[in-house]
Amino acid sequence: MTEPVLAVEDLHVWFDLEQGGELHAVQGVSLALQTGERFGFVGESGCGKTTTILALMGLLPSSASVAGRVLLEGEDILADGEESVSPHRWTDIAMVFQGAMNAFNPVKRVGEQIAEPMKLHEIAEGRTARRQVGELLERVGIPAARASSYPHEFSGGMRQRAAIAMALACKPKVLLADEPTTALDVMVQAQILQLLIGLADDFGLTLVLVTHDLPIVAQVCSRAAVMYAGEIVEIGATDTLYHDPRHPYTRLLFAATPDLYDEEPVLSIPGTPPRLDRELVGCPFAPRCDRAFAPCDRVKPRLVATDTGHSAACHLNDPALKAAS
Amino acid sequence: MSTIASGPGAAGAPTDPSDVPGGGRGRGGVVWSVLRSRPQAAIGGTVLVLTILVAVFAPLLAPYGPREKVGPPFAPPSSAYPLGLDDGGVDMLSLIIYGSRVSLVVGFAAAAVAMLIGGSVGILAGYFGGKTDITLMRVTDYFLVIPDVPLMIVIAAIWGRSLTNIIIIIGVIYWTGTARIIRAQVKSVRERVYVRRAQALGASDSRIIFRHVLPQVAPLLVANTVLTVAVAIFAETALAFLGLGDPSLISWGRLIENAFVSNAITVDAWWAIAPPGIAVAVVILACTMLGTAIEDALNPRLRVGHLSVRRFRLRPLPAKDPQ
Amino acid sequence: MRGADYFLKRTLFALVTVFVAITLNFIIFRATPGDAVTGLRCQFCTVEFKDQLRAELGLDKSKWEQYVIYLQSLAEGDMGRSFVTREPVVDELIDPLLNTLPMIALGTAFSIVFGILSGVVAAWRRGTFLDWGNLSFSLLFYSLPTQWLGLMLLIVFAGTLPASGIADPFLAFTDPSWWDTFVDRLEHMILPAATIGIVLYGEYALIVRSSLMEALSEDYVLTARAKGLRNWAIVWRHAFRASLLPVATLIALSLGYLVAGAILVEAVFSYPGIGLVTYDAVTERDYPVLQGAFLILTLSVVFANYLADLLYFKLDPRVAE
Repeated sequence: MTEPVLAVEDLHVWFDLEQGGELHAVQGVSLALQTGERFGFVGESGCGKTTTILALMGLLPSSASVAGRVLLEGEDILADGEESVSPHRWTDIAMVFQGAMNAFNPVKRVGEQIAEPMKLHEIAEGRTARRQVGELLERVGIPAARASSYPHEFSGGMRQRAAIAMALACKPKVLLADEPTTALDVMVQAQILQLLIGLADDFGLTLVLVTHDLPIVAQVCSRAAVMYAGEIVEIGATDTLYHDPRHPYTRLLFAATPDLYDEEPVLSIPGTPPRLDRELVGCPFAPRCDRAFAPCDRVKPRLVATDTGHSAACHLNDPALKAAS
Repeated sequence: MSTIASGPGAAGAPTDPSDVPGGGRGRGGVVWSVLRSRPQAAIGGTVLVLTILVAVFAPLLAPYGPREKVGPPFAPPSSAYPLGLDDGGVDMLSLIIYGSRVSLVVGFAAAAVAMLIGGSVGILAGYFGGKTDITLMRVTDYFLVIPDVPLMIVIAAIWGRSLTNIIIIIGVIYWTGTARIIRAQVKSVRERVYVRRAQALGASDSRIIFRHVLPQVAPLLVANTVLTVAVAIFAETALAFLGLGDPSLISWGRLIENAFVSNAITVDAWWAIAPPGIAVAVVILACTMLGTAIEDALNPRLRVGHLSVRRFRLRPLPAKDPQ
Repeated sequence: MRGADYFLKRTLFALVTVFVAITLNFIIFRATPGDAVTGLRCQFCTVEFKDQLRAELGLDKSKWEQYVIYLQSLAEGDMGRSFVTREPVVDELIDPLLNTLPMIALGTAFSIVFGILSGVVAAWRRGTFLDWGNLSFSLLFYSLPTQWLGLMLLIVFAGTLPASGIADPFLAFTDPSWWDTFVDRLEHMILPAATIGIVLYGEYALIVRSSLMEALSEDYVLTARAKGLRNWAIVWRHAFRASLLPVATLIALSLGYLVAGAILVEAVFSYPGIGLVTYDAVTERDYPVLQGAFLILTLSVVFANYLADLLYFKLDPRVAE
């Protein structure tokens, strides 16, 4: 088994709250990705998936504190905080942000902004940079001549593509994509996803896709993690998550997906996620769970392997506990 | 397209209280809550209230009359006259106290005029849109570009120097800023759910404006009016300084003008010049603090700054709890 | 060509505003109760003189005819004659205007430079003591009445800097070098310029601060940080550039204040610029001069606004939309 290109060990993130106290936004996330893998993060808004990937690049505000390790090809890049993580930004890990529309500075030309990291990290400049920018734009399906346009002159879909091109400017090893298709219409979504898959193959990228839109994960990712209240509650192959989920939340999530050909009503999960500014007792999903039983309110379930390469954090997977109730 | 559906009020989906008919809790509460929570607003508000009280109770507070000669011209400050005497031997402290009346009256009245004109123009333009909007905004734009003080000077020089004239002139010059801001706000309010509902139900325009639109723009109007008071007080001092104030009335602006014209500088009588200016500055400062605090509260920029001199911190892993 | 019709629109707007100003000028001075001559106060203003003046000014004709004559005269560069000096108004205004320009340029330069510096520091060090201190100072300076500040500066600097005028009247006799004249002029300009500059600084510092704070909370700042840019590079190359438009807009809006400030400080310091001319004209009710000064001041502001409009486009190409 080769060394994972990106490994996260027990990552925690807290945010200071204005009124005092803190919010435990990410609670012990761990995972390991192989080169070329396409991995998904799913969950409701506010579950901590965006914070997790921002933490991978150290893009946290001063109100944040972090614990745990982020290993890029074996090296802990968070060891010294901002100091140790910033050299790896864009050159090793890059990101396509949520709402890429706003990722561009409105008063500068698109080509200039794509070339900026090239120049900064001394990869290319001047004419060489311009040529590479042109090539990148063409690769994402934008005519190279548009490099001299301003962001507001692009459509939403084009800006998204341009943002992807910009993310690849320094040929990173890992590409993080946060909700890359939200706010785009369906046709464009499909194109962007195809693009991402194609680019991942061509550039040998490891792709991490964050989304609340499940069919996307099914289409693009081979493995995924389901997050709830700051933790991973289930992680494994996307197929298994779909057809044989081991956590009630996963099951309800995927069941809530309306099928065009199905007559079944759309399920919604009643209730709200728990507040993260205080300690939780028991399973965080218990209040909303349809299969909760005795131990769920008192004991927090750990993430345990249910099969090779698959883990879930639910008491229902523990035969001993089930027998006892 | 499928998304995860959660129950109502899931984290990350706050309900907009203004989507409730009638504006929900009502925006009047906003002004009061701002005053309570922001020290800037509280200080500004308190100073303003104190100044108003001074103006109202002037005869009781002032040690001497405003035209009462009590000593030699330009007598320096002493224990009897803490702010000295002006060129006519009148007590400066009393002059300042009495002067607050006209200054505040002009400030508030002119701001009220500006608010009425500007608010109406803004609401009409924002609500009706189309041709009304374009015409009104064109007119506003022209007024905005033409410099305010020269226009005021010219009108005042010709039309006369009474108090009412001054108030009207200042009000008529400064309505434009209010108009633009209110118009923008009205445009956004207009798109709200309950306005559309009221329209669908067949409510008349004036009813919608008064019952739905006005309450929503009221706090912004208040904030803007407060800021206009500051500008109006400054305008009064400028007009007075150029000899265009009402000659029979005492205001802070007139006191500064009087000191200038009677050459207080040559005799180094700083006490005839400093106090009225400081009084004006204090009131303008108070209005600015209060007005901007309310405005800020209405435009919450909750977004975190992405840059900071301080960085995120590292800490050790929490102990594994033995559940 | 991108922005061609933006350019045309702004030019048209400027021209129309000029026309509105000219007409407004006419209306204010002629369409008043009683006419301009009645309120005239001067040594030789007898009744016969006033009647003669009325005829000369054409005040006995219909308003419409007067308007047409007015426009025609303006087109020829004739703004009438001063009631007081009987000289052509145009002559009375040109030199003072040329005196005023460098003085307000000095004051504005001061306020822009320090305003931007303060604003940037305050926004970057948001929430710290530097920010709070800057905010307090800016608010304070912004609240000071200009003429009062001028008077206070006059008291403080009375001994060290000249208290009035534009030049030392005796300097000419000593055959001064170019440098001596320059220094002399500068000494006379500093106080009035500083007065205007200090109040304006307060306003600009506040504007730059809030505009930059707004820019720093935009998403592209996070992107820039993700790309590996250092803090100062982000502030300078991204946030600052993007925040320039609101800054420029508000600087343009403060042009009106500049005019007011010029009038007030020139009165205080007896600085022979167009502000002082306006002040004297008001005091003496010299209407032709007042009318001319108003027109010149308004035209200057409209022109400056027009230049600012053109500059906006360079700063933020989205304005053309």
